[in-house]
Amino acid sequence: MEGIADSRILIPPRTKSRRAQAVVEQGIKAFFGGNALVAVIVLALITIFLFREGFGFFGQNLSNLRLYRQAGLEYVDIIRGVASRHEALSRNLSEIRLSEVRAAQKRNAPLEEINAALAPFDRFASAFSDTADNLHGIVSDLTEQASELKEQLFARAELLAQRSQLERSGAATAAEKIVVPEIDRAAALTRLREGSANFESVSAEMTAKLYNLLAEAPPLPDPAGQKAFEQWKTRTREYLAGLPAASEKLRTWSPDAPIPWYRSISSFLFGREWVTASFWQDWYGIIPLLVGSILVSIVALFFAVPLGIASAIYVSEIASAHEKRLIKPYIEFISAIPSVVLGFFGIAVVGQAVRAASQSSLLKWISFFPISERLNIFTAGCLLGFMAVPTIFTLAEDALRNVPRGFKEASYALGANRLQTIGRVLVPASLSGIVSAVLLGLGRVIGETMVVLLCAGNRIAIPDFTQGLGAVFQPVHTMTGIIAQEMGEVVRGSTHYRALFMVGLVLFTITLAINYLAQKLVARYRMSIG
Amino acid sequence: MIAIAFKSRRTRRTERVIFWLLRLATYFILACATYIFLDIGIKGSRTVFTSTPPFINLPFLTEPPQTLYVFDYDGKKMTLSDRQFREWKSAHAGVDVEATSVAYSAGGIWPCIVGTALLVIGSMALALGIGISSAIYLSEYSRNGRWIRLVRIAILNLAGVPSIVFGLFGFGLFVIFFGWNVSLIAGWFTLGLMVLPAIITASEESLRAVPQGLREGSLALGASKWQTIRKNVLPYALPGILTSSILGIARVAGETAPIMFTAAYAMKDEMPWQVAKFTDFFFQGVMALPYHIYVVSSKIPQNEYTERVQYGSAFVFLFLVMLIALTSIVLRERSRSRLSW
Repeated sequence: MEGIADSRILIPPRTKSRRAQAVVEQGIKAFFGGNALVAVIVLALITIFLFREGFGFFGQNLSNLRLYRQAGLEYVDIIRGVASRHEALSRNLSEIRLSEVRAAQKRNAPLEEINAALAPFDRFASAFSDTADNLHGIVSDLTEQASELKEQLFARAELLAQRSQLERSGAATAAEKIVVPEIDRAAALTRLREGSANFESVSAEMTAKLYNLLAEAPPLPDPAGQKAFEQWKTRTREYLAGLPAASEKLRTWSPDAPIPWYRSISSFLFGREWVTASFWQDWYGIIPLLVGSILVSIVALFFAVPLGIASAIYVSEIASAHEKRLIKPYIEFISAIPSVVLGFFGIAVVGQAVRAASQSSLLKWISFFPISERLNIFTAGCLLGFMAVPTIFTLAEDALRNVPRGFKEASYALGANRLQTIGRVLVPASLSGIVSAVLLGLGRVIGETMVVLLCAGNRIAIPDFTQGLGAVFQPVHTMTGIIAQEMGEVVRGSTHYRALFMVGLVLFTITLAINYLAQKLVARYRMSIG
Repeated sequence: MIAIAFKSRRTRRTERVIFWLLRLATYFILACATYIFLDIGIKGSRTVFTSTPPFINLPFLTEPPQTLYVFDYDGKKMTLSDRQFREWKSAHAGVDVEATSVAYSAGGIWPCIVGTALLVIGSMALALGIGISSAIYLSEYSRNGRWIRLVRIAILNLAGVPSIVFGLFGFGLFVIFFGWNVSLIAGWFTLGLMVLPAIITASEESLRAVPQGLREGSLALGASKWQTIRKNVLPYALPGILTSSILGIARVAGETAPIMFTAAYAMKDEMPWQVAKFTDFFFQGVMALPYHIYVVSSKIPQNEYTERVQYGSAFVFLFLVMLIALTSIVLRERSRSRLSW
């Protein structure tokens, strides 16, 4: 028989009124809600801020491009283009000579003999490069004139901006004090045109000389070299045929032709040059960086996808329980290796190893070996692939494990062996999960900074794809790398600063798209099996 | 019959070959990882450990980085740190030597360890505070609506945003817009916001793993919502939350890109606590271990003199981060086996 329970147990004494307690509860709820709100606001802020800082880029870049035209830099670059194409042809000649020498050395010919055989060719090559002397003279004169004008115009624009800012803030007297010098742009541009007046005569003279030279081009001993030389001659003729078009361009060029607003966007998205802090003209084209990022990612996935999926299949289907308990945490453990340590390992060990391997005699048959740069796309790609393996492994293994048991049992019941069950049932059933694992791995690779900054070689150039696979052994710069390298040194609010934010925005968009795609795939996969 | 037997033998052989290939791929990954650990471990321990008691190279762990001077004197090769070199010069007055200097290669990495610890503590406090509260709201208070779904999508997507983009954001907002300059506090916010999505997701998962019955039982006994959460939900979810947040620590400590232009200095002479005013503490840049590794591996050449500090710092850093990650993995494995409802 139990006594009546203590009343204090059943009805606890109320120290607070019900109302006060409700207020406290509401307050606690509001506190947590407020925290969630802070999280969301901050996360939204990131997007807004990137856009805010980035979109100012287009206006500034447009005025940058307008200045390029107004100061006549564009005009000079037409002539410069003609001169640099000539230089490229001259370089091709020396490449041909190098291959000739190599071919002769393979025949074990002595050096004097090779030089004697190539003497007419050398005379031809030096005569060729001499033909452009006058052209280079014009270019260097005009470069000076145009950059002077550009500087004046730039300084004037700065002063004008200062004045209008003062006027807006109400300091009219201070604004009056700023003297904005008048610049006689028309006269300067006329001088520029005068300076280039003899371009036509110079180019005509060069054309005549070159045709004469081509007519008496010496033959080459090696047939392969001769073939390359013939190709070179065709290219030179094409070049000469294109010269009148350049003169025509110079004649029709106008400093006041309007530059449409979309040029600012297209020159960023499709620009093939990223040149900053240059005395002549800054270009902000994302293509070299984008190509670099994509190439590094391709190499990384080339290694990570087979390894990641193979190990996922192995661990989830083949390995013994004992192996599984060891391998799984170990691979997950890899994902915790800091990327900067991997980058350092790349510099200290992998880069050296890749170069040493390319110099070994076993791999001599590969045309682009030995390589000159130890830090290149391949080095960075290997390390990034290693980094992406845990991501792909974990998610793919999850997907494989989540295939319902019945699938496997049904397959065995039909007489399939383990390999057939894996290949025909398990992998197809979890395919969307595996693909999304690969996508998330790609997201990780493309957004990784330290490894590419340390190991990709940091040369801002589109790799030379004419070498075929050899392009993979060239140094590049990447989107993440350029932000990390240049952000610390830019002037706040400058075009360069905003251009880097735009690169960040592009990166942000790419990773969001990849994530979104991966999530969509997983959602569909859950529906189809679950 | 024979044909079938032959066929089955062949399929069995293919099966075995392919299984071996898969096994090879798996063990190849493990071998690569082991090689990295061994390479850095062996070369790094030459710096960090010594053959004489106390067996640990205390100067390396307790001194600031210094410039190394290398020169020939009296037929001997001298390698002296900045301070030693000045003492040597005053002792050998009048002796003119041509010394080549190698930056960062003498001394130790003490300020970097301190800086990294400060960054991790501050940013984790920030991220855990906001993150766990948000997770409690999302899992306990919010009703599944359009707005909440949007929040979830935002959090999920932000987890995949590259760390350099967070760095860019932190630089633009905290360093420049708020005018905090390169400072500890800018680094805290940048790193804290970077791990926030991961912490929210993981905490919410642990909260949701607590069975609904525990909440209902508590509410049925007359407890208020907050009492239920405090007494019946949080205690069971906490181990899971803490385990996943340790992984967050490993990530915060390991990242370089976000602090490169928000919090890290390549070189700083004072220790973080040597400040004139109390508030200066928050607005000073610090040296950080990952940034130090970046600097010593990219800004100075690779040779016999620099290898000591390069491998030494990489080893210490790798060891610390791996220790944190290992704790998290071990804790998780243990909690998986223990907590089953």
